[in-house]
Amino acid sequence: MEKAKPLLSDQTSEHIYHCAKCGLCLDACPVYREMLVESASPRGKVQLARHIVEGDLEITKHMEDILFSQCLLCGSCVAACPSGVKQDELFSSLRWRAAERHGMPIVKKLFFFVMAHKWIMSTSAWFGKWARKLFSGPAIEKKVIVGNLPISGVPAFNEQPFNSLYPEVVPAVGEKRASVLYFHGCATNFVFDNIGKAVVSVLTKMGVEVRIPRGQSCCGLPIFLSGDRKTSLICIKEVLDQFAREDCDAVIVDCATCGSALRHEHSHILKELKALGENVDDEIIKKAELLSSKVRDVSEYIAEHMDWIPEMKNGGPAVKVTYHDPCHLVKGQGVGAQPRNILKAIPNVEFIEMNEADRCCGGGGEYQIEYGDMSARITNRKVENVEKSGAAMMATGCPGCNITIRAHLDPEKNISVVHTVELLAKALEGDTN
Amino acid sequence: MIEKDVLNNLRTIVGEENLLTSKEDLINYSYDSSIDEAMPEVVLFPGTTEQVSEILKMASKKKIPVTVRGAGTNLSGGTVPLKGGIVLVMTRMKKVIEFSKENRYIIVEAGLPNLEMQKIVMKEGLFFPPDPASWAVATMGGNVGENAGGPRGVKYGVTRDWILGLKVVMADGRVINTGGVTMKNVTGIDLTSLFCGSEGLLGVVTEVALKLLPIPPFQQSIQAFFDDVDDASKTVADIIASGIIPVSLELLDRVVINMVEDSRKIGLPRDAEGMLIMMVDGFEDDCRKQSAQIEKICKKHKAKNVEIAQTKEQEDALWKARRDAFGVMSQKRPNCILEDVTVPVSNLPAMVKGTLEIGEKYDLTVGVMAHAGDGNTHPMIVTDKRDAEEWERVEKAIGEIFKLAVDLGGTLSGEHGIGISKKPFMDLIYGEPEYQLMRELKKVVDPEGILNPGKMADALYAE
Repeated sequence: MEKAKPLLSDQTSEHIYHCAKCGLCLDACPVYREMLVESASPRGKVQLARHIVEGDLEITKHMEDILFSQCLLCGSCVAACPSGVKQDELFSSLRWRAAERHGMPIVKKLFFFVMAHKWIMSTSAWFGKWARKLFSGPAIEKKVIVGNLPISGVPAFNEQPFNSLYPEVVPAVGEKRASVLYFHGCATNFVFDNIGKAVVSVLTKMGVEVRIPRGQSCCGLPIFLSGDRKTSLICIKEVLDQFAREDCDAVIVDCATCGSALRHEHSHILKELKALGENVDDEIIKKAELLSSKVRDVSEYIAEHMDWIPEMKNGGPAVKVTYHDPCHLVKGQGVGAQPRNILKAIPNVEFIEMNEADRCCGGGGEYQIEYGDMSARITNRKVENVEKSGAAMMATGCPGCNITIRAHLDPEKNISVVHTVELLAKALEGDTN
Repeated sequence: MIEKDVLNNLRTIVGEENLLTSKEDLINYSYDSSIDEAMPEVVLFPGTTEQVSEILKMASKKKIPVTVRGAGTNLSGGTVPLKGGIVLVMTRMKKVIEFSKENRYIIVEAGLPNLEMQKIVMKEGLFFPPDPASWAVATMGGNVGENAGGPRGVKYGVTRDWILGLKVVMADGRVINTGGVTMKNVTGIDLTSLFCGSEGLLGVVTEVALKLLPIPPFQQSIQAFFDDVDDASKTVADIIASGIIPVSLELLDRVVINMVEDSRKIGLPRDAEGMLIMMVDGFEDDCRKQSAQIEKICKKHKAKNVEIAQTKEQEDALWKARRDAFGVMSQKRPNCILEDVTVPVSNLPAMVKGTLEIGEKYDLTVGVMAHAGDGNTHPMIVTDKRDAEEWERVEKAIGEIFKLAVDLGGTLSGEHGIGISKKPFMDLIYGEPEYQLMRELKKVVDPEGILNPGKMADALYAE
């Protein structure tokens, strides 16, 4: 049988041939840990990918289900693989082909359409804010849960999008040491303006000029990881237009997932599309690589310039703080020591390491909504570890993990969930709470 | 072909969700960590010994092959369903049956991964010595089936030395209990040893009673680098001869060091031709004496650099790199043929040297790793099975490596088992008198020949 257009670029499919089937990824995978079935493991999917690429297996509905319901795309396997297989690129590409073949539910397509068009997104978020205000009362009372996400766990939407709170250039306090672009992402924009404010506060006090381009787009990750690469290109192009610039010292992100998207995913997607003969030119790939080289997670950037942090006053009793490593940050970008260094440098923080700090929280963005049962099993382990740590506060660097974990912590234990940078901001303000 | 009504019966035994027949699932159970593959007809996840018993009873009656499997990380093809039929996956049977701290044993179901069991007993100050590199994932049933070893084997031996008893389901569904829970036991014929290392050919283990040791108060890791891998091998033989039995004594050659460094970047010197990683345990002052003695012997054999690990992080990183060594070999080319030939330790230098020479002769990339302290070498040939011409040379090289091991008084496998991959070489070790006994035993315990057929030796199946 003649092979039609190849399913995957050679670069992506070659990963398959570096899988030694050693099985180390079975230990890393949060889904395999629960299901104990080979298809749930990264090795299982890589071997299925081999049969698909060799023409022996179609991307059936069952295969599509395996790719979506039995994988959080957390990247734990990529970090664990001794052979350098990039399972995340492989599975992301297969999801794309599966979505192409089997279509996407209309609700999802609509949702992605909204996310990709930022003005529609802003308006929707505005409606969302009001809907949250009007309807959340009863929903919280009735303990409404969508998938595994209780509505009560999702924080109230921002009064205004974060993007509208500041001028486009926020000057450094005192001597200007650097100038950065700030990609705030959808979570900070619509839900966590407190994180955005903390980022601006800390960076400017460190002598960094913070430029916040107007009308930022979504990084596209929720869209392309669901297989809708075409729609996600809208986001990718917008992001590159605004942020792929030489004239900045860094592009700061406060979300582990956005960071992963800008640093790795965009280049991979564009290169693969080009290799498969789609309309993607070298220009845009160069832009993606430029942006990738500039991206720094906010905790990474701060940790690189600890000597720029002004003196923090010690006041108040020590608070026990622990840290959860978002998968996209510690495994996807190798950033794990930096947030810990920041926390340990804050005067009244007593840092405690929790058990399995770098294990997945089980949220997986919309995974917890669509595959609530599996998500719950993984999240429950994380919540147990957080509660057992004895900490009063849990810091993390991903709004997804933030929402997922806070929604399931036992309210009686009173453990607050914050972004690392929020604690630093408070300490710099002299707030000893 | 399994008939429909048989499938329905199997479905009734394990439950709908524990029986898989989709093409995707069959593909996923057609392989393990070895190079061979074969499709099963159905995959079953039993939950109890009773279910296993009913399955085997039916399989014997209907003459359906049964291949038992844990996590499927075995390296010799023992879990590849060569003749199709049923793959019996034990991963959902992972309960702890009983744990006695005072009597130092734990009884667990066969599907519990080694490391998961270790974590449970370590909380009580005990440990289970055998630590195969795959321990995070490999199950106790699998460890028993292959008589798994690991780096700690030099001092502590292998799985067989630490099994107190087994619950085994026979091919006809009978359930037997071997051994017991006492440290010493010579009651009756030793059935436990029979099943240990039997690669799924003699029965299905559903529970294992494991002997435990108190965690030693102190441990210390040492690494040494050499300009000549021969010096490293000689150091190993010398350390053992001097009367020190370290916990672990591992050797890596330049090829392996560089592959590990490419992947894990822990700062290993890329120009070292040989490296030894060693561990001693016991009481602190005794350990320090052993380490000093080891250092002396290394230096006697021209070690360039001898370092004692200072922090737990350093130590952990070193051993983790060692555990990853099989996987890192596939970074540049897809297939790594990992062998397991074992020789008396005084012949280790000749085995290592000979292996590297064979690699050169056939123009192949060969790396050598070894549980050097017990003469268990792991030659690794990096290749691409899609390259037919090179594959021919690989097969020739493997044949010569086995022959060399036998000539040096050694054997085909120290811990990975024979499975499919080493079948062709069994005649180097055994002859008709041994095969006849093996055949007779096999016929008695598995008259219909349903348990993992086609493995270990063709002579087992001759009429």
